[in-house]
Amino acid sequence: MTWTGFVLRNLLRHPLRTALTTLSVALSIFLVCAVLTLPSALNALFERTSSKARISVHHEAGLTYWLPLSYVQRVKAIPGVAAVNQFSWFGGIYDEPKNMFPNFAIDPETVAGVWPDYGIAPEALERFRRIRNGALVGEETFRRFGWHVGQEVTLRGTVFPVDLSLQIVGVIPAATGNPVMLWFNRKYLEEAMAPRGGMRLVGMLWLRAERPEDVDGILRTVDTMFRNAEAEVTAETEQAFFASFLSSFQGLMRLILAVGVLVVGAVVLIAANTAAMGVRERIPEIAILKSLGFRRRPILGALLAESTLVGLVGGVLGAGAAYGILTALAAAGKTGGNNFLGPLSGFRMSPEVALQGVAVAVVVGFVSGAVPAWNGARLDVVAALRKLF
Amino acid sequence: MIDVRDVSRWYRRGVDVVHALEHVSLHIAAGRFVALMGPSGSGKSTLLHLLAGLDRPDAGEVVVAGQPLSGMADDALASWRARHVGLVFQFYNLLPVLSAIENVELPLLLTALPRPERRRRAEAALGAVGLAHRTRHRPSELSGGEQQRVAIARAVVTDPDLLVADEPTGDLDAKSATAILGLLRELNRAFRKTIVMVTHDPRAEAFVDTVIRLDKGVLVDGGVAA
Repeated sequence: MTWTGFVLRNLLRHPLRTALTTLSVALSIFLVCAVLTLPSALNALFERTSSKARISVHHEAGLTYWLPLSYVQRVKAIPGVAAVNQFSWFGGIYDEPKNMFPNFAIDPETVAGVWPDYGIAPEALERFRRIRNGALVGEETFRRFGWHVGQEVTLRGTVFPVDLSLQIVGVIPAATGNPVMLWFNRKYLEEAMAPRGGMRLVGMLWLRAERPEDVDGILRTVDTMFRNAEAEVTAETEQAFFASFLSSFQGLMRLILAVGVLVVGAVVLIAANTAAMGVRERIPEIAILKSLGFRRRPILGALLAESTLVGLVGGVLGAGAAYGILTALAAAGKTGGNNFLGPLSGFRMSPEVALQGVAVAVVVGFVSGAVPAWNGARLDVVAALRKLF
Repeated sequence: MIDVRDVSRWYRRGVDVVHALEHVSLHIAAGRFVALMGPSGSGKSTLLHLLAGLDRPDAGEVVVAGQPLSGMADDALASWRARHVGLVFQFYNLLPVLSAIENVELPLLLTALPRPERRRRAEAALGAVGLAHRTRHRPSELSGGEQQRVAIARAVVTDPDLLVADEPTGDLDAKSATAILGLLRELNRAFRKTIVMVTHDPRAEAFVDTVIRLDKGVLVDGGVAA
């Protein structure tokens, strides 16, 4: 017999109890891994899809405030700016209110200039420029509604008092990280709004620098240009824009992380209770071990090894399951599962998160066993033997 | 081998102080088989715990194999027990999750012996108590007498100087009890083990060299087992 065998025999003394405790650790670590993946997955998604050379310019007060249309020309004139486009939130609904997705009026002429990395098919871009009511649709939305190129769809305006009939002319690939939005020609919206006083505002601007090293200079110029203007602006790189967009969810993220921590805390208590129960049941055996000459340290070590092993196995199971499931979901997303998986298909759990999960589980096991093991190791052998005999 | 010098042991039970042992002195020579007898509450088990290094006296000194036990720290005392003392209890107290041979091998985990040697010694100890054929059985698959034999094998596997037994026949039928007493006598004679046994069993007197009697914590007979 070995120490390892001794620990394993004790662990398997109540197989069902050990299995249930291990599974409770596994489930909590599964949740913890999923929770830890959320912020890192969003960060990774934004990092993957955002560009250091692309700059957003929006109202200093927030994204819901509009900018004068004249800003487009002024920004275009800044040295180092390769192309400028504009986003105006249309807020259209397809068929019924639940079919809400982001749709924007933009400039078809500079799509390729501002988003050359999006990989939109040249023939789709050509149709977008040529067809007055043409629309480019994110791949996920395209699949969600089962649309096809050439199909006419009507968006009911919620921000603007007009309904627009749009012809699908192409797809924005899902790999861009913007798989749900729809873009249509701003001029078409302006024409629709003409009888109602026209449209002289724009939601925000997107511009691309000729070279990444021009970005800082452009940001400074934009700041200076619109300081004390009728609408002051904030200019930031696309990465910073998404980061600040993400930061608006920090409260929610913190809440989710807090729930994760509470789950771990609850499991520590459950596992500690189980460990304490196990030690209580084995007081006679611990007394015998001590009488045979086992010192505190080996007894403490053996008891701690049991609870830590439960944590380790639970952690490997939980983190492994989370890694496997999220990887499978991501693979399903790649193979067209985006329709029903939604944003889940974009989540990729890193091996680091899995390792963090296993580490948390080991700590859970160790902490849950620490007090019962310490009490067991400190057992007064004579007092225990007196109670026994 | 064993010198008990003017030893007293008191316990506090609520507001009362119980005098478990009062100024007990005795000497047991190496290789003797000694029975500690007396009525319940006479201090037999307390004295046995002191001899085994499980407990310390409040006054006096216990010296076993030249080693004074009173000043030793808990862990040092545990290490000393592991090397010098084998213990046998009334209710066998085998670990139920381990087989007979694993129970016997357990004290050897505290030694630096390699695994095959530990196993060989455990097999030899089980053979010495007549259980070579029951090595793989769990305690629940053994009779009371067999379990006590396994416990004795566990006590002797480290080749201790002193074997202490607390009512080793107390939970056995007459036939098994006689067999266990015979086994202890055999171990005493064959291996020159010093054995101190607490017992109420009058049959024990026929197997031991000396009977030491206690009553109300005081030695009443047999203070020298030379």
